[in-house]
Amino acid sequence: MRIGTAKFSYRHDEALFDSRTQYAWLAILGLGLVAFPFAVNEYWLYLACLMAINIGSAAGLNILTGYTGLVSLGHAAFMGVGAYTVAVLQGAVDLPVLPNLLAAGAVTMVAGFIVGIPSLRVKGLYLAIATIAASMILHFVFSNWQPVTGGTAGLMVNPARILGIDLDTSFRFYWMVMPITLLMLLGAANLFRTRIGRAFIAIRDRDISAEVLGIPLLRYKLLSFGISSFYAGVAGGLWAYFFRIITPESFPLSMSIFFLTAIIVGGMGSLLGSILGAAFITMVPEALKLIVGWLPISADATLILSPVRTIVFGLLIIGFLIFEPLGLQEIWRRTQRFFHLWPFRS
Amino acid sequence: MNIHTVKHWLAGAVVASMLGAAGIVHADEKEIVIGGSIPMSGVFSFAGIGIHAGIQDYVSIVNEAGGIDGHMLRYVPEDSGYKVDASVAAFKKITSQNDVDFYYGDSTGFSKTINNELNRMNSILMSGASFASELNDPEKYPYQFLVGPDYTEMFGILLRHIADESPGAKVAFVYSDSEFGRDPIETSRKTAEDLGLKVVAELMTPPGSVDVSTEIAKMRRARPDYAIFHGYILAPIPEFIEQARKMGMDTKFMGTFWTMDNSTVMQMKDVADGFMGVMPYRYYYDDSESAPMLEKIREMRPDYQNVPYIQGFLSAMLYAESARRVLAEGKEMTAQNMKAALNSLENFDTGGLIGVPITIRGNSIPVGRIYQADVSQGKMLPVSDWIILE
Amino acid sequence: MEFDWLFFAEITLAGLGTGGLYALTALAFVIIFKSTGVVNLAIGEMLMLGAYLCFGFAVDFGLPIWLAIPAAIVVGGLAGGLIERLTIRPMVGESPISTFMITVGLAAVLVGLVELVWTAAPRRMPAFLPDEAIFIGEAFVPSKVFYGFFVTALLIAIVLLVFRYWRGGVALRATAFDQAAAYSMGINVPRVFSLSWIVAAMIATMAGILVGAVGGISPSMGIFGLSVLVVVIAGGLDSVLGALVAGLAIGLIEAWASGFLGGEFKIVATFMILIGVLMIRPYGLFGTREIERL
Repeated sequence: MRIGTAKFSYRHDEALFDSRTQYAWLAILGLGLVAFPFAVNEYWLYLACLMAINIGSAAGLNILTGYTGLVSLGHAAFMGVGAYTVAVLQGAVDLPVLPNLLAAGAVTMVAGFIVGIPSLRVKGLYLAIATIAASMILHFVFSNWQPVTGGTAGLMVNPARILGIDLDTSFRFYWMVMPITLLMLLGAANLFRTRIGRAFIAIRDRDISAEVLGIPLLRYKLLSFGISSFYAGVAGGLWAYFFRIITPESFPLSMSIFFLTAIIVGGMGSLLGSILGAAFITMVPEALKLIVGWLPISADATLILSPVRTIVFGLLIIGFLIFEPLGLQEIWRRTQRFFHLWPFRS
Repeated sequence: MNIHTVKHWLAGAVVASMLGAAGIVHADEKEIVIGGSIPMSGVFSFAGIGIHAGIQDYVSIVNEAGGIDGHMLRYVPEDSGYKVDASVAAFKKITSQNDVDFYYGDSTGFSKTINNELNRMNSILMSGASFASELNDPEKYPYQFLVGPDYTEMFGILLRHIADESPGAKVAFVYSDSEFGRDPIETSRKTAEDLGLKVVAELMTPPGSVDVSTEIAKMRRARPDYAIFHGYILAPIPEFIEQARKMGMDTKFMGTFWTMDNSTVMQMKDVADGFMGVMPYRYYYDDSESAPMLEKIREMRPDYQNVPYIQGFLSAMLYAESARRVLAEGKEMTAQNMKAALNSLENFDTGGLIGVPITIRGNSIPVGRIYQADVSQGKMLPVSDWIILE
Repeated sequence: MEFDWLFFAEITLAGLGTGGLYALTALAFVIIFKSTGVVNLAIGEMLMLGAYLCFGFAVDFGLPIWLAIPAAIVVGGLAGGLIERLTIRPMVGESPISTFMITVGLAAVLVGLVELVWTAAPRRMPAFLPDEAIFIGEAFVPSKVFYGFFVTALLIAIVLLVFRYWRGGVALRATAFDQAAAYSMGINVPRVFSLSWIVAAMIATMAGILVGAVGGISPSMGIFGLSVLVVVIAGGLDSVLGALVAGLAIGLIEAWASGFLGGEFKIVATFMILIGVLMIRPYGLFGTREIERL
């Protein structure tokens, strides 16, 4: 808890960042983000870009699952919709990058509305299973709508072009993906200062009570699906520009589980949780590679890397749900609190 | 100095130190580096382990002989678990830490994804485990090649054999619902018709499917003389063959590269007898003709080495040969030069790994032979000559 | 165009065979849900574990098949009990969505474990079902499917009888009906939870052995669980009758879709049914309507 921050107006109270210390930290973060690409090699830049895309997508999923309480296992399929939209529009009318990403978001938003319609009738786990169904149906469309999606061979995407520069290295791509991700995060943070965001939280806590209070459930649930899908669509579009090839097998059900793991590990219902969770989960495979390399097992250790990765993912979900249900962001806040009160331990 | 200022300075110091960069390791400039995203774990691990061993062995043979013009070969692999994102991450890691000249990719998805990067870099020549027809396009994939015929060419070889043995026969295609499976079907349908064969059924099975009874029922309807499987490693081929035999069908069954390894076929036990397929290489135990490289492999590795081992070995051989030619002409090791060197290979002797001398005109090596399983001997025996497609 | 009745008959029989297996697995799912209220997304993976246990006993340990199967069932059951103790018990009282997510994590762990021990390469089970071809009239039924169906029917009958007459079965039903009342009648409810998971795991193991016998085993067998999920939603999460009826129905529909439309329509048909059921009768054909109290 921050000491000595008296607020004198509602506006001040609502502000996202309110103290000099926070501004200072933000400035350092900003400098760090700007200096980062110059200091590291292609491999780390690749990871950073991937992380940024994952953070954006996780933020979207968190809006739906963490803040509105609607568990979705179709997030990867929505990213796929966004990715395919970008690829198709680029191929058909060569739409420039930024309008293309917005279009991807919009199309995915519509898909999200459609998938959200069952939420009128079912809730909780039933809805989660409905999202699995949606994901399978979308996958079917990707594989078989040959003329548009290129069938199982998929589509290739030309590099994003901004101001005449082709963004075909991770270094260049970083400069596009980082601001977009920051904007997405800022958007999400602001969302939860408005009545829409508060309505979402009310729905999560007790949707019948929310309805009694006058929140039209269907409209807000659909809105939640829509906004979350918009985020997924933009993230999917960035994915398309980054990997430059998309196939139906690029967005499997296991990727939806990947994102769900990310927000569970990071902390559901918290934007910081989305950031920490997505960053952590993106790094886990790489960290595992290092760890397995260090361990004093014979050279056959590389053979077990893939199953160990699967087990670790599963254990992370189970472990965090049982032992730290509030996720990494809670650990972060605990550490923060510790340092705020140090040396005055409570 | 109050506690806040101390905290600020501490924080600043921590942040500053975190901005330290990861250094780039410079490889020895005289070394020729072969990188690889090898599927050593995961679904394809039986292949990955073989490929890994094959490349390793060839590299050690060359290095023992003094390298290529004094340049030593170095092999830098990473496990990819047969997942595209892990393969790409491995590629990025290896290329950031080494000056890579050749790369082995584990899947069609990876080869397609990384293609743009290869074109931009113009410093790496790539091959891999994929025989996808799409990759056999020197214009779209200029710096990649296949170590054998592509899937459409494999079908072509099989269909040609069928047309020779039984003109006008009825053929069925059984394939999996994936990019791997669907790859050659369209084109092969036309090839079959051109050869005067009748395609009576095209059966697609869902991936990871457990029960194929409906497809078997459809096959019974069609009563083909030959059935070609593609897009599988093992399952559900044994199911199909077993049920077909029970039904009293005397269809002859055939497969493409990835179903043709000795160990895979023999897992089918009795059902495997008579199973045919196309294979561009000689099997480990083949001693029908003189094959110096094969003998060397048998010396180095007394146990059976599977077909992916031969593929890895051969890939490394082609990399080395391409490097040798570029260096001999005193040129730079750019992808363009290395590919041109590869394409200059005419009637190249692979030391018996492929039964005939090879010429690489485009991106593939359209050579193969039909083998048939003999369960009593536990071996795959050749039933045709080496077929070279034009 | 003359309708090919023989073909129709053949795929119908094949569909019934698969449907029987769906019904059996759905039964395991319903037992868990009825007793503990947990939606177990890992049911397909428990089935896979069972198949691999049998494979391990038969091939790695070299036991004769008629010993390997019971051994696998026993060990599978114990594994189920262990899973319940370690991962589900700590979540008592938490939201059902969290418990659902735990089963998702569990599925990943099971797949990884199996891959670690047996590698990801697909394998074949040693044969134990009689081999000769079965012809019903002129229609051909793969022998495995035929015998599999009878074994399934037998198992379902045994399970239903056990529930009806065995004390443990009665305790399970009582706990499912009303936990508080069961407690006050002296039923050891936590023990019943463990029991339900053990029984369900045993049933899943049996189903896994049959599925493995028909189509081979591989770590991706768990995808069977997705179809089973549709079955239980259609039948009602807590209805045994629903599991049976819906299991057979979905098996048939999948077979017809695959036979007449093509292999790629199989999964899509299943999930369109799911969406349909969710829209029209969200609690399934025979499920109890959930009344939410504030």
